[in-house]
Amino acid sequence: MATVKPRLYEESKEELISGSEAVGIACALADVDVITAYPIRPYDTVMQYVSRLKADGAFDFDFIIAESEHSQFEIVKHASAVGARTFSGSSGVGWFYAFEAITVTAGLRMPVVAMVGNRALDDPGAFGVEHNDAMAVRDLGWHLYWVATAQEALDMALMAWRIAEDPTVLLPFALSCDGSFLTHSQAIVQVPSQDQVDRFLPPYKRGTLQLHPDNPITIAPQVNEDWLMEIRRQTDEAMRRTSAVIRQAHEEFREIFGRGDPSPFIEEFMCEDAEIILVGMGTLAMPTRVAVRRLRAAGKKVGFLRIKFFRPFAAEEVQEALGDAKAVAVIDRDYSYGSPSGGGVLFHELRSTLYPLDKRPLMLNFIAGLGGREVTVDDINMMTETAQKAIDTGKIEQETTWVSVRE
Amino acid sequence: MATVQDLPQITGVKNIPVEEFYNSGHRTCQGCESALVMRLMIKAAGQRTIVLGSTGCMYVANTTYYSTPWVVPWMHTQLGSAGSAATGTAAGLASMMRKGKMTQEPINVIAFCGDGGGVDMGLSAISAALQHDEYNLLIICYDNESYANTDIQASGSTPWGANTTFSPTGKDIRIMNTKQKKNMAPMIATGHPNMRFVATACASYGLDFNNKVRRALTIGGPTFIHCIDPCPKGWDYDPKYSHELGMLAIETGLWIQYEITDGELILNGPSRAIAKGIRKRKPVEEYLMRQGRFAHFLPEDIKFFQDKVEETWEKWWIPGLIPITPGQDD
Amino acid sequence: MATRAVEVVYRGIFQRTLARNIVRQIVFAARKDGKIGTAFGRYSDSPERNGIPAKQFAVVADTALELEESLAVYEATMVDVTINVDDTMCKGLESWAWYGLQPINEVTKPGGTLIVTSRQSADALLEDIHQKKDPYNLSIIPSTVSFSGLWVFKDDHTDMRALGAMCKACPELVSIKAMLESVQEQTGNEAKVASVQRAFDRGTSRPVEPGEGNTETPFSFDMPGWKTMEEGLVIRAQKEGTGFRGGEGGYTPGRSETFKKWSTRSMRPVINFDTCIKCTLCWLQCPDTVFDITPDGLYDANMEACCGCGVCEAVCPVPDCITMVGEPEFNDNSSQYDAWTADKDGYNKWMTVLVEKQKSETRTHGFHHVGGYAEEIAASEEA
Repeated sequence: MATVKPRLYEESKEELISGSEAVGIACALADVDVITAYPIRPYDTVMQYVSRLKADGAFDFDFIIAESEHSQFEIVKHASAVGARTFSGSSGVGWFYAFEAITVTAGLRMPVVAMVGNRALDDPGAFGVEHNDAMAVRDLGWHLYWVATAQEALDMALMAWRIAEDPTVLLPFALSCDGSFLTHSQAIVQVPSQDQVDRFLPPYKRGTLQLHPDNPITIAPQVNEDWLMEIRRQTDEAMRRTSAVIRQAHEEFREIFGRGDPSPFIEEFMCEDAEIILVGMGTLAMPTRVAVRRLRAAGKKVGFLRIKFFRPFAAEEVQEALGDAKAVAVIDRDYSYGSPSGGGVLFHELRSTLYPLDKRPLMLNFIAGLGGREVTVDDINMMTETAQKAIDTGKIEQETTWVSVRE
Repeated sequence: MATVQDLPQITGVKNIPVEEFYNSGHRTCQGCESALVMRLMIKAAGQRTIVLGSTGCMYVANTTYYSTPWVVPWMHTQLGSAGSAATGTAAGLASMMRKGKMTQEPINVIAFCGDGGGVDMGLSAISAALQHDEYNLLIICYDNESYANTDIQASGSTPWGANTTFSPTGKDIRIMNTKQKKNMAPMIATGHPNMRFVATACASYGLDFNNKVRRALTIGGPTFIHCIDPCPKGWDYDPKYSHELGMLAIETGLWIQYEITDGELILNGPSRAIAKGIRKRKPVEEYLMRQGRFAHFLPEDIKFFQDKVEETWEKWWIPGLIPITPGQDD
Repeated sequence: MATRAVEVVYRGIFQRTLARNIVRQIVFAARKDGKIGTAFGRYSDSPERNGIPAKQFAVVADTALELEESLAVYEATMVDVTINVDDTMCKGLESWAWYGLQPINEVTKPGGTLIVTSRQSADALLEDIHQKKDPYNLSIIPSTVSFSGLWVFKDDHTDMRALGAMCKACPELVSIKAMLESVQEQTGNEAKVASVQRAFDRGTSRPVEPGEGNTETPFSFDMPGWKTMEEGLVIRAQKEGTGFRGGEGGYTPGRSETFKKWSTRSMRPVINFDTCIKCTLCWLQCPDTVFDITPDGLYDANMEACCGCGVCEAVCPVPDCITMVGEPEFNDNSSQYDAWTADKDGYNKWMTVLVEKQKSETRTHGFHHVGGYAEEIAASEEA
């Protein structure tokens, strides 16, 4: 006999919660069926939260404490195949331990939603934020989104199931949340009501792809070279289709919940008429906004563009936002050793995005905030000054700069 | 705990169900005993079953894109993930049925793995799956004693001295694989005290295997069966001897057929007769000399092998199962 | 100025070492002629399955540059010589690398040679070999098909005979002189050198005219594209079984529509329905779900599923009730039960002849016991 679904939020309500807790509440509101956990800082705060909800009878789901991250992700993958809504997550090397499972989840088109509590990769063991962990899925068919606030964490978690489970998409969703700054800091969050969520988020229906005796299918037979190009092309097409699905979901989200940026893909802050635009992802948006606001007050034409969806990457919107700038300063909370100009991953993505423009801005890259080091307003000022110098001289002295690193 | 299907024990080969759920469409070797394990396993389980198959021969040779032998729903899982696949599937079904998102019914969940996927890589996930008393699931390890799919590399389940592509006999080293085969089923049984059913099996004894699968699926909770599968490719013999070599493995006392139900051990078939002294063990030489993988054995190697079998039967606390001797103080 | 290619078509695992010996030896011998070459197995055939057809290639060129030109296409689409080391594959190949049946002479170039190891006559083989629109030559090495396994090689000189026959059929590829020198150098075995020479001396070939051979159209398979394939790596399950042949009583399992096992086997079971005691063992122990159960409780081996392992024969408790008979004896895949019910006496006479003939057959399918191959080779030499 079916149990009565617990209703955590009859009415929309303010809570003082961390980003992890916000995602946990989203799990309950989305009525997730299977959640798998394995401890690693900092993401595991979300699992501590949902286990408490379960213990208190506030949220009914199957909670599996896996014996490794690999199993964590395999378990949700298989639960998703039978039609269950799923959630999992990890951080740093834990995410890498699960990587085989993470890869096949996208290949199998399982709309698993995962929270990545961004953390530096070992060795050395380090708990602070870096983006290289989540970034590793960028080529595999995962949606990859960087969150900036606890409110956004909750909102995007709800969006994540809606987008990932869309029958025309069926691709997993990684919700990247900066370790510490999001996972362990509390903020006032407007939690929506269950009714609002129910209006926004339809049940997950896998249809003719569901693994069930009523729909006998074989999933993922071995292929040789005769088939794999076609299969990759299908996933490519699904990733192309998802952009429209994201826009549609975003519009409905704004309508039902009454909040949200104009664009689901990027956030433009004072970019209008800006000569220098800083670009970054995640929580470094906060010090960057503060710096930009002060620089604007001092008469500098500076703006900030936050990339929210790294995959799918909204190339046209980014071109639009950056096309009139004289210089673009990209802040990477990641590294890519041996890459062109030794720059970060985001930098190369942007340089590639802007290459087709007739008038290309000067491009500078700043590696900052690794291992959880703070990115300060002073750091942003330095980046802006460096960019201004490049504009003034028409020359880039150094493409990639490591910020605030002791010599 | 979810309810289980009504799958009564089968009394005699003539009563084995005719319905097949694993048909042609696979590309396994001639005389593949693991394919027979698949066929008999799903014959016993029936149509309302979901099968999860980890990487190995029974993935790659069975399901090559656009053809499948499976009548029932089947899904691939990664090499080390038989345990996780079973857990995830069972959890998904249980959760959705409990919450009214799916029609309530007992659906069998079976995950299989080879010795590489079970005895080696997947051991940790299998162990974890077997702790979930709340789910009904069966994990079957089909053991052909090597990574047969990838061309016969030694696994933790390869017998001492066997030729494999990672342990070839050479000019300098005759015996490359000096590891003793892992003692898998007893490790599972002793390590998971709440498990209600653990068994060994061999498809040469089809009815026995059918009934073990049914007991495993109906007793409730997670269960485990370990099958020995003669492999004409890796063991190197004429495929028509698959059935006979399975029997020889048991008749020589090398493989012991048993089931452990709620902590109670029962030996089956020839193993039972051997233990009771009704039947003598055949010399292992009869088994070894029939297989190309042991063709390099010298008399001393055969003796070493035989001595190990003797030790298993004569010195182990529980013959064939527990290689521990109680201390003198007991 | 020329590049020549050879394919060796063989039964996976059973003849892997044999095929490898042949293609490698060709390249070694070509060096003696001042040429350069390469030898390789088709990657799509690996991991090989015991008995499933597979291919290895040797490509030989006058210069390294010519070799590179020809290797721009990885798998040869035209070969000068096809060496088929198991005559039962003359019925066609259904590898695990493709769907549909590929005729054995599919890539043999016009005017090229198909060499077959067989005890059958050319006319008998041509009943199986699909017709071609271009002429080619058929050369037979009159010997028993050689099977062994992964670890122990049955060194009965089949490889040497194939090499000798090949030098005769296509001297442009490798001269017999170079081959003999090279075999001497590689093996140091005079008996093997003699085997090459003997096969060369005895090598004959018969021209096959366009249109000569098996006229049936090999079954083919149209591969769908990404827009029509199901998403999520999904394919539909196999169909459930029905009553015997879709009727009342008995049982016929579902059969794959895309993969038939018609070329996977080198033998098939022949059943004496009159002596069958319905013990179920053949049916129960069959790894390939081969047997259809008739309404009267007999077991009819369905050739859409059988890969010819012989387990059914091994487990049958009744003498001569199931006998594995070589594929060359059959020209179709029809039901023995149907034939028996239509004409019991006729069927039994046909069956008895086959079974008696089989008893004198020396063909074996791999390792039986340590020392077994030496006994088999000695016995065949006596014969």
